[in-house]
Amino acid sequence: MNDAPATATATTPVPSGGRKAIFQANGVVKRFGGIRAVDGATMQVGEGSITALIGPNGAGKTTFFNLITGFYRPDGGTATFRGERILGHPPYALARMGMVRTFQITKALAAMPVIDNMMLAGPDQPGEHLGNLVFRPRSWRQRESELREEAMELLDVFNLTKLADSYAGTLSGGQRKLLELARALMARPRFLLLDEPMAGINPTLGRRLLDHMQRLRREDGVTFLFVEHDMEVVMNHSDRVVVMAQGRVIAEGEPDEVRRDQSVIDAYLGGSA
Amino acid sequence: MTEALPVAVSFDAFTSIGFWTSVGIIAGTFTIFTLGLQLNVGFTGIFNFGQAGFMAIGAYSMAIFVTDTGLSFWVAMPLAILVTMAFALVVGLPSLRLRADYLAISTIAFSEAVRLTALNARDLTGGAQGIFGFTDAWESVSDTIEGWLVSLGWSDPERLFPLFIVVWVVALLLTFVLSRAQRTPWGRVLRAVREDEDAARALGKNAFSYKIQSLVIAAGLGAIAGFFLALNLSFIVPDEFAPTFTFLGYSMLVLGGLANYWGVAIGALIFEVILEGLRFVELPISDVKIAALRFVILGLALILLMAFRPQGMFGKKEEMVLGE
Repeated sequence: MNDAPATATATTPVPSGGRKAIFQANGVVKRFGGIRAVDGATMQVGEGSITALIGPNGAGKTTFFNLITGFYRPDGGTATFRGERILGHPPYALARMGMVRTFQITKALAAMPVIDNMMLAGPDQPGEHLGNLVFRPRSWRQRESELREEAMELLDVFNLTKLADSYAGTLSGGQRKLLELARALMARPRFLLLDEPMAGINPTLGRRLLDHMQRLRREDGVTFLFVEHDMEVVMNHSDRVVVMAQGRVIAEGEPDEVRRDQSVIDAYLGGSA
Repeated sequence: MTEALPVAVSFDAFTSIGFWTSVGIIAGTFTIFTLGLQLNVGFTGIFNFGQAGFMAIGAYSMAIFVTDTGLSFWVAMPLAILVTMAFALVVGLPSLRLRADYLAISTIAFSEAVRLTALNARDLTGGAQGIFGFTDAWESVSDTIEGWLVSLGWSDPERLFPLFIVVWVVALLLTFVLSRAQRTPWGRVLRAVREDEDAARALGKNAFSYKIQSLVIAAGLGAIAGFFLALNLSFIVPDEFAPTFTFLGYSMLVLGGLANYWGVAIGALIFEVILEGLRFVELPISDVKIAALRFVILGLALILLMAFRPQGMFGKKEEMVLGE
């Protein structure tokens, strides 16, 4: 039913709202046995944009995330981040390049205090190398106090200051979601990939999170790509929308264009065909 | 005779300083050995069941360097530690990519491979007869310490007491250094790897490299434990390095509590004191049965511990419950 329009949008070069692309994927493929979970996904994300990635369950959104952040090895295609090819790089290397992700199911480091969760994510801590512990004690202690300060500032933004010394495992689901975002921000991302950041958190917290995304984009020029099912959030808070179905990108554009796209309605929005 | 209680305790050897010195040396050796397990299991979340194998490589390398190569004991020890760490690297590179349970199996297999090699490579290891004659350098140190003890007023010091002192000085020093390292950014990354490897990787940490570091350091600790085992026995034979040694180390680890380095020494001491103290319980059964019964009683004690205090004596309950 939707094969015809699908190929049309996926193969033609797509504009990204007049912005320079910070990230591009070209024909990315991932097979699990006989299933092509991602089947030639092609898309780009404009620098400084908030781009939503939507699609029905099983469309391959999370698999696509795992591919471009190095958690899965792709079976084909290319992807670049700030002009550098990234497919096949390990996750930690991509995170250090500024491409930081969160997970659909939160990965709070449960048996570590919130503050340790935060400080862990801080980049350029020489004390993470054994040699420096012994030979450069001053430099890592110095960095440690900088990181603690940064961490406390971020925790304040997310209303988590009082929980700084609690074990992350004692936080509520919503608080964990916020902690994971705050922690990702500690890693100083240029490009933040959020897998269902709103899922499971109450509307007030969700509001805060969205406001913060907007502010980060405005003030620090952080680029966002986020998977989301809540259409209200997608339509009102993103400036571009990418739609995936059956492992491919079937549409891409401004929220309003995408909302009217017949193939999107067939695949996802309308549902009742 | 018949109206006497069936259970009796004889205190003949109970007060013997010689006996408790030996028990203390074994507990100190186990402490160093188990510090490595604590680093791996308690702080990195990797299940190293091959620690006895690393201990064997350390002890054998040292003994071979001294007796065959004629190296000084003091050079042989650091070299043997390096050899053991190199083995850990070779073992870790493929096996640390495995899931926890497969890692446990492959490290046990490694440990047995080391023991069986020691048993059969007779030219190198002396086979079942083992290796003697590497203790000369230690004896002279031991004499010096004995001299100090005499000058402190102990007219006839226990022969093994100097070893007791040294093993505990080393054990406590290592415990101190490791607990300091745990409170650094390095230790924080290890704990993050324990909690969730993927989260650590997503935050820019090379989890695999930290697992390797953890295993390699643990192997070095195993090698040091091996030196003390060798000095205590003054010979080494393959049977000393059976996987049971690792399992006993795990029991002490659990007893002392996970994720606490100081708990290791306490766990090792309590375990050894109970195990050896049970020797003095006299029952109207054969000695062989008593020997077996000691482990039955210890096993029972461990089960009770798990039921009533699963975090061990000094472990943090939060870190156990929240880890899941």
